[in-house]
Amino acid sequence: MKGLHFWLGALALALLLPAAAVAADVKVGLMCPLTGKWASEGQDMKNIVALLVDEANSRGGVNGRKIELVVEDDGGDPRTAALAAQKLASAGVAAVIGTYGSAVTEASQSILDEAGLVQIGTGSTSVRLTEKGLPLFFRTCPRDDAQGKSAAAAIARGGYKAVALLHDNSSYAKGLAEETRAALEKAGVKVIFYDALTPGERDYTAILTKLKAAGPDLVFFTGYYPETGMLLRQKKEMGWNVPMMGGDAANHQDLVKIAGPEAAAGYFFISPPLPQDMDTPEARNFLAAFKARHDSVPVSVWAVLAGDAFKAIEAALAAGKSDPEDMAAWLRQIKALPGLSGALGFDAKGDRVGEFYRTYVVNDKGVFVLQPK
Amino acid sequence: MEQFFQQLLNGLAVGGIYALVALGYTMVYGVLKLINFAHGDLFTIGAYLGLTLLASCNLSGMLPLPVAVLAVFVMVALLAALIGFLLERAAYRPLRNAGRLSAVVSALGASIFFQNAVMLIYGARVYVYPDFLRPDFTVHVFGMAVPGVRLLVIAASVLLMLGLSAFIQRTRTGAAIRAVAIDPGAARLMGINVDRVISLVFLIGPGLGGAAGLMVGIYYGQIDFTMGWSYGLKAFTAAILGGIGNIPGAMLGGLLLGVIEALAAGYIAIAWKDAIAFLVLILILIIRPTGILGERTADKL
Repeated sequence: MKGLHFWLGALALALLLPAAAVAADVKVGLMCPLTGKWASEGQDMKNIVALLVDEANSRGGVNGRKIELVVEDDGGDPRTAALAAQKLASAGVAAVIGTYGSAVTEASQSILDEAGLVQIGTGSTSVRLTEKGLPLFFRTCPRDDAQGKSAAAAIARGGYKAVALLHDNSSYAKGLAEETRAALEKAGVKVIFYDALTPGERDYTAILTKLKAAGPDLVFFTGYYPETGMLLRQKKEMGWNVPMMGGDAANHQDLVKIAGPEAAAGYFFISPPLPQDMDTPEARNFLAAFKARHDSVPVSVWAVLAGDAFKAIEAALAAGKSDPEDMAAWLRQIKALPGLSGALGFDAKGDRVGEFYRTYVVNDKGVFVLQPK
Repeated sequence: MEQFFQQLLNGLAVGGIYALVALGYTMVYGVLKLINFAHGDLFTIGAYLGLTLLASCNLSGMLPLPVAVLAVFVMVALLAALIGFLLERAAYRPLRNAGRLSAVVSALGASIFFQNAVMLIYGARVYVYPDFLRPDFTVHVFGMAVPGVRLLVIAASVLLMLGLSAFIQRTRTGAAIRAVAIDPGAARLMGINVDRVISLVFLIGPGLGGAAGLMVGIYYGQIDFTMGWSYGLKAFTAAILGGIGNIPGAMLGGLLLGVIEALAAGYIAIAWKDAIAFLVLILILIIRPTGILGERTADKL
């Protein structure tokens, strides 16, 4: 028996030795909704970050160390996200990318902060995420108040006088609706209707009937594309031609599929621009590589912002900032790192700097057309 | 007043679908005293199967459109019924003599299984039914322009429900189902094959659920793998509202729930419509603990 133990021990040592001989891989965590209602976003996030990781590794990794991507599914659900964050923390990652929904990111924030890890949110635009003073939290997306101001400016430019605001009670859509209402009141535009619908339903005719009776000259639904598509479709079915606008959660190719090109024509929304509409070399190269691998374009800008988060982490690691405190300090001082969605930089709170909201209009063929600035 | 009738119609169209799905919950509860949580997912599967049949078999190209849609309805109902039958064999029959809690856990497990299976097979992105399937005409009633497809949805739901009622009340097999619902032991002593009746219930309920899924697909266009959850929850509520285990109760509960939601959204606040619908449910259960039509016993079917 003693002999067997000795040989087993020797075998274990022999297996361990080669791993110790080369520099250990550096792990980067990605938390995204691979299942649940936002699964299509999450799967794109994973595809994009995996693509960038492979590209970085084919260039030789960072400082001679390969990058290993550790992906955890948050299911678009705060409870699952808390578990995912704990798993990533114990997997020994250098930093965490993610995630999409604000409420979901919020559930993971304190866990990752206690674990002492840098976290870069990708689609979480709720204002309070960076108002908590967490020193290691960043995000590559803009905040709702920036979007609210841009939305109000677009509404004022369009000359609308009586606006109906509708949200879906998610912390993102509600935040955007509140920020927009405040900005509209300052601009002297009347908000004649303010209410919330239940997301995930199929029939919004009761809501549209009520909206129609209020008689707005513009309907601004701040929620996500599946509900926006249904609203547009059922609005047309009712024969009601009021213009409708949306926020950046409407920026998804499936919107037109759901509504149908006829019902979607004329719908406009404000959003950070997609890589296919950008003219930077980073965006062009990335798009070509993504198309070659997946034979499609990214479904929305949020998945692309996960790629930007990875770019930031990769640059920090390449600069030798692998300690979380150093990495955070380094990220806070960058101002114009070339990212997939344009120049990347963070302010003292960890918010992305720069104004990058643009207006898109859906044309008769159902194509999102970026409007000139 | 026009707005009131408009909202009433909105509610009836939504309620008709709730009622069709609720029938599946209530029939299974009637014979097995089990809430079949996977029923909402059979509804989702119906919607996906319908799209697959329409798109990949190109039925709409070979047959005149109404015939093709009707054929797909029948095929989807049969396929959903088959899946329901297999579900009962795999997940519920082995637990027939176990505690009720085990069967409920098994039902929840089946629901999670179906939902994720649909996601893995079809992917997470939403699917959209082709637009030309939707009948595009408008009917003028009392000076209101009503989309014809909404009237068709209401008519189809009512027709299916009346057909089921006639089957349960007028045929020998229907009598056997009622007998099993009242007392399975006595029914077996009278020579009724209880296992066969339970299988039959698991054919009819999912068949209707699958047909409802197809209807939602054609009418609303957008389907996704989580849609069964919210419809299932509402239909379950409707079944309780009408008196669970009671077939006319499920129909009444479904239509009533749809109308309450529409009126609450129209006259109180959109955000409160679900809260109000559940408040009405609580009030009704306080006054009539067995639901609106569940008077004599909660067991009757």
